[in-house]
Amino acid sequence: MTTITPTTKSSHRGTGTTATRVIGLLATVMCAWLVVFGLILSPADRDQGDAVRIMYVHVPSVWLAYLAFIVTAAGSAIHLFGRRHSLQADRVAGASAEIGVVFMGVTLVSGMLWGRITWGVYWQWDARLTTTALLFVSYIGYLAVRNLDGTREQLARRSAIVGLLAVLEIPLVHWSVKLWRSLHQEATVLGTDLDVSLDGLMLFSLFVGVVAFTLVFVWLLLHRARTMAVVDLAAQRRLDDALIARRREGGN
Amino acid sequence: MAVNEPNLQPREASNSARNRRRVLPMVVLALVFVAGGVIITQALSTAVDYYCNVDEVGLRSGCDEGRRLRLQGTVGEDSVVVTTSATLFDIEFNGAVVQVEYEGEPGGIFRECLPVVVHGVFDAQSSVFLGDRVEVKHSEEYVAVNDDRLSEAESAACTPAT
Amino acid sequence: MSNAGFIIGSYVLTFGAIIGFALRTIRLGRKLADDLDDSEKPWL
Repeated sequence: MTTITPTTKSSHRGTGTTATRVIGLLATVMCAWLVVFGLILSPADRDQGDAVRIMYVHVPSVWLAYLAFIVTAAGSAIHLFGRRHSLQADRVAGASAEIGVVFMGVTLVSGMLWGRITWGVYWQWDARLTTTALLFVSYIGYLAVRNLDGTREQLARRSAIVGLLAVLEIPLVHWSVKLWRSLHQEATVLGTDLDVSLDGLMLFSLFVGVVAFTLVFVWLLLHRARTMAVVDLAAQRRLDDALIARRREGGN
Repeated sequence: MAVNEPNLQPREASNSARNRRRVLPMVVLALVFVAGGVIITQALSTAVDYYCNVDEVGLRSGCDEGRRLRLQGTVGEDSVVVTTSATLFDIEFNGAVVQVEYEGEPGGIFRECLPVVVHGVFDAQSSVFLGDRVEVKHSEEYVAVNDDRLSEAESAACTPAT
Repeated sequence: MSNAGFIIGSYVLTFGAIIGFALRTIRLGRKLADDLDDSEKPWL
């Protein structure tokens, strides 16, 4: 008679937990809302027509890219200046930068499509676009620095310094339309006069976009940082195994 | 050597996969520096076309009639004339008006009362601005298409949005 | 909808990029974390 031994498989597959499942579900629902409000329910703009619908993905994605890079800077600061030089903070910084680069790429591409419709050109070397492209490239550089050769601590330290320097570009990008004359419109919601120049349903669609992408960001950040923790754990294990192996050799 | 003392002599790497993988970040980093340089050079070389508002022509330093300019203004009401080979229109800013002749049809959402940026040079004789590129500069104001109150009021006045 | 190709294209690219990154993260996380016991996962 054969008995089937029940497998003690974890109820937590991969890097998921109940919290990430709830956040993931909410993010999916909000993204679906964003599509419905952005593409169907919100009105067309008087001047831009339907092209304004690109705003609901373009603006939230650039805000989330900024947020992601600020989280990277915060994680970098905690790693660099904290007493424990926390590697967890470094992992959060790295995970956030990866997500930020994705959102920044999305911002650039959606912006180019929007520009083609409204300005008539995909790209223009003006202040806002140029500084944004530089910011994007800087964080690709940051990710490259994270993958250079070196010990785990060296890499964390180097990338923390880059993460703290690169974040200084964000104010330059945001205020570039004020500092230099630019083809790009000024900020609609986060302008200096705190006066929102946006129709009600348009503003609501933008709000849905921001909430949706924020949830997506939190969900991705949790999963990516956890994956990085497992990678570090595996590297530590390999090191431990190698040490044990050498001790054995020494014993022969 | 004492028993159980690990042999800490460095050894030959058993495979070069790890080393090969580390080359990629270096290549990416090099490309990042090149891309950064290209972006800055491109931005600076395009900035050679001086960015001027219509009312600054001949007044602001750099906004001279003899050089290539990027001229910003609002397309004048009822000023757009489309001929077989060119589009003629006025651009206005702060009371000053410049006539523009653009070879072809401007792209984007080009129409009257919208702020535009025209790249080009002034014709020495006629003082018409010969544009070779027109970009529509959309303002940061968004108004629903069916919002009659606002759209009628604003389009009647044809107020520049800048 | 005018310029539908550009507008829908921007949504497709946006969500495509996000979903692509999410799938890559989840797959890698599963591949690595499924070898661990729950007690070894620092987030549990």
